Amino acid sequence: MGAWEGLLYGLGVALQPEIMLYCLIGVVLGTLIGVLPGIGAMAAISLLLPITYYITPEAALVMLAGVYYGSQYGGAVSSILLRLPGTPQSAVTALDGYPMARQGRAGQALFASMVSSFVGSILGIVVLVLLASWLGRVATQFGAADYAAMMILGLVAASTIGGGAPAKSFAMVVLGLILGTVGTDVNSGVQRLTFGSTQLMDGVNLVALAMGLFGVAEVIGNIRGSDHGSPDKVTFAQMKPTRDDSRRMVMPTLRGSALGSFFGSLPGTGSTISSFLSYAMERRVARQPERFGSGAIEGVAGPEAANNAAAITAFVPTLTLGIPGDPIMALMLGALVIHGVQPGPMMLEARPEMFWGLVVSFGIGNLLLLILNLPLIGIWVSLLRLPFRWLYPAIIVFVCLGVYSVRGSSFDVLAVAMIGAVGYLLALARFSPALLLLGFVLGPLIETNLRRAMLISRGDPMVFLERPIAAGFILASAALILWSVWGAVRSARRRSATR
Amino acid sequence: MGNAEMSHFTRRGAIAAFAAAATLAGAAYAQDADWPTGPVRVVVGFPAGSSPDTLTRLITEPLAKRLGQPVVVDNKPGAGGVIGVQTMLMGNDGHTFATTINGPLTTSQRLVPNLSYDPATDVAPVALIATSPLVLAVNAESPAQDLAGFVDLAKAEPGALTYGSVGQGSGAHLTAELFASAAGVEMLHIPFTSYAEVTTSIVGGEIDSGFMAPSAALPQVQAGALRLLGVTSPEPSAVAPDVPVMAGQAGLPADFQAELWNAFIAPAGTDPAIIERLNTEINEILQDPAVTEPLLAMGWQAQPGTPEELATRIEADTAMWGGVIDRVGAAAN
Amino acid sequence: MQRDHHDLWGGLTLAAAGLGVAVWSGVHYDFGALRAMGPGFFPTILGALLAVLGLLVAIPAWTRAGVPSPIHWPEALAVLGAIVLFGFGMHRLGLVLTTALAVLLASWPAERPGWVWRLALCAAVTALVWLVFGVGLKMSIPLWPQLSRLGIG
Repeated sequence: MGAWEGLLYGLGVALQPEIMLYCLIGVVLGTLIGVLPGIGAMAAISLLLPITYYITPEAALVMLAGVYYGSQYGGAVSSILLRLPGTPQSAVTALDGYPMARQGRAGQALFASMVSSFVGSILGIVVLVLLASWLGRVATQFGAADYAAMMILGLVAASTIGGGAPAKSFAMVVLGLILGTVGTDVNSGVQRLTFGSTQLMDGVNLVALAMGLFGVAEVIGNIRGSDHGSPDKVTFAQMKPTRDDSRRMVMPTLRGSALGSFFGSLPGTGSTISSFLSYAMERRVARQPERFGSGAIEGVAGPEAANNAAAITAFVPTLTLGIPGDPIMALMLGALVIHGVQPGPMMLEARPEMFWGLVVSFGIGNLLLLILNLPLIGIWVSLLRLPFRWLYPAIIVFVCLGVYSVRGSSFDVLAVAMIGAVGYLLALARFSPALLLLGFVLGPLIETNLRRAMLISRGDPMVFLERPIAAGFILASAALILWSVWGAVRSARRRSATR
Repeated sequence: MGNAEMSHFTRRGAIAAFAAAATLAGAAYAQDADWPTGPVRVVVGFPAGSSPDTLTRLITEPLAKRLGQPVVVDNKPGAGGVIGVQTMLMGNDGHTFATTINGPLTTSQRLVPNLSYDPATDVAPVALIATSPLVLAVNAESPAQDLAGFVDLAKAEPGALTYGSVGQGSGAHLTAELFASAAGVEMLHIPFTSYAEVTTSIVGGEIDSGFMAPSAALPQVQAGALRLLGVTSPEPSAVAPDVPVMAGQAGLPADFQAELWNAFIAPAGTDPAIIERLNTEINEILQDPAVTEPLLAMGWQAQPGTPEELATRIEADTAMWGGVIDRVGAAAN
Repeated sequence: MQRDHHDLWGGLTLAAAGLGVAVWSGVHYDFGALRAMGPGFFPTILGALLAVLGLLVAIPAWTRAGVPSPIHWPEALAVLGAIVLFGFGMHRLGLVLTTALAVLLASWPAERPGWVWRLALCAAVTALVWLVFGVGLKMSIPLWPQLSRLGIG
């Protein structure tokens, strides 16, 4: 079946009232749950799983997928308004979205995030339809050395996003990498830096880390002096991006979508990598990179397009190979298996209605999300008009509950307090928490892949140059470093020239 | 389900429990005749939606109807299921139980430093729920056509053939080492974090082989990307019926077997009448195709049995895996 | 003499932490070799790297003026205290009481005096949390005090 027939066929499946209804339920729940700090798609999907046993597998998959990509829209809301990212991707959105909100431009930031999310998703769907089988083959060609090289590129690219002193940025990345080593070492089974705690055997909880570093630290710093009058009521016209905003959004959105579409299809953390890469790229190509970090709309549009495109193409390995790329995909795959549907290379032929129905439902779901979320912007923004003293105790409780709900662990809640204290001190000293988070997420992937690559190559580091994919990433990293050095030299020369 | 049917179960259950209590434990337990007096909590050491969680929910749903009380599944994931068992032991109130995979009862004592419980004395076995074999998978283009071919390949260059697992001390790792020592071969262990990664790596030709849950391999087998050389169960498994049994082949002993399993457990000291009651109910639930069929789709074969049989299995597996861990540990240092 | 105290102390703390990680990992975990890296390989190298980077942050700060930003002690203590209270309370007191107490503690440093708004806020947040988590999401979270866990358990 070609792409056109497939889409038409899928339209027939996805437009059934029952499927449409579950799609709507999925995206609405996804948005709402994504807005709650700390409760991501994972929690929402596991809560919904029992219900899926009573509906058709098509409806179940469409609904769960709706929660998955819908939660990305919701996650942007709490990161932009309150600097409460539940995932590393939303942490990138908060980098410029939150400063925009503090400047009274929350409406524009949300608008930018919604529109670029929508565009990113649609372009992701196009890529999924046209290139799914090719991307699936590429994914199996990625070996350990290639993944390690890709993560290194991610780190190199992202280290520039802090904007401050390079030593401070690198120190945060390395601190994140160290935190990432806490827990059971996969290769040896040794408990590293857990100091005898069973609770730390699986490592530091990502949600606790994100909430402590961002949300808690931000709340503490904002209580004092926050009791003055709240921003005036905003009209819809004021929330719309200005002509300048729209112009600035176009290219970042397209570039972000391309990055997200490619990296999303690789099993692992394609979504995180593509968000950070997109941000770093926009900062690099921008004429005034110093605007980034203090409310550049490009820094919202690019990463949001990237992570939503990645959320769509993340289905590539699941649908074409039957290999779930992340734990959430594994959950969805499990739901299908219960229904007797075996996702995998044969699914496109054996169950075309599942594949094409799902693909078309992505389009419908994202359209629903856009229609649903644009009017909601006004409500979200008016939330900020509440005096902060009313807002922050609720934020704290929601953060605690979000973290607690991940695995019902009081230990994780206490960890938030401790990480929050450290995060507050880091914020006072102007260290970038986003880089710490990135190091934490990528660290274990770099370590396991590097060690695996060395095991397989019997300790020969040349494998990084012999494998074309790995060599490409290493070259790109080197080029990026050279570019940074050249840029620094050039700006220093310019400064001395003007003196 | 109608009310009449439910109260029937409740009444029958109550009578059974009363009878069991009276005969087995004497007057001291007479007060437990009304058990369960409140909601029953079943702790699962894995996140909601995971395979052990889904398996548990397939059991607890009919169990609630049979007990006439709600059965609440409580996910306490972490440390390979150890946190789940620990949580159950903390809530020792006659209404808190757990399901667990084999690891926390058989290998965790050796692999987790300072484990806070002793499976032999702190845990009371209730019932085995289901078992799953592992299959040995290779790339479809591998020169090894069958198990004998694989062993020859491994012997040709000791330590050169690679296999993937889901981490040091995982079932996949220990099974591979058990196989290696039984077949007299030496292979290089490449640890991964999920079966998804292992399959991708074998399909991509980066590593040579891997022991894995059949459900992780089957889609790739159907697509012609992987070949399965053998299954570790003593008899052909309903999960992968076409795959030959490894035992007795290619120089492996006739009693070669390695199975993953899931069991229902209680804190030690739980009223034997309650354990008896739960065992009876679970074994009856495991006769119902509405439960066994989804289990099979997930790769689990229902295995009814007595608490004593489960205790024997725990003991035997602890000894078997303990031996493997000793050998692997010795090789690593 | 002007100093950038934030970078100075931040850098030194990171350097000390890095050194600690490197030494602890070097002593306790096998370093391995390139061909088979041990569990100590990464932490030891990363710890040493962090120690160097920490010093690189701290040294220039010795002779440079910084912009001081004082610690907001009451706010920090109240917010962190509320989280700790939540962590300890959840298992024993249940969702409703824990939320109410945490909100009261967290709202303590807010600049507006008075108890009426605090109690109103407390009621509102507790009701919202109960609606979202207890009724809406139906999470398996204890809502009320668990008597068995207050005493012996």
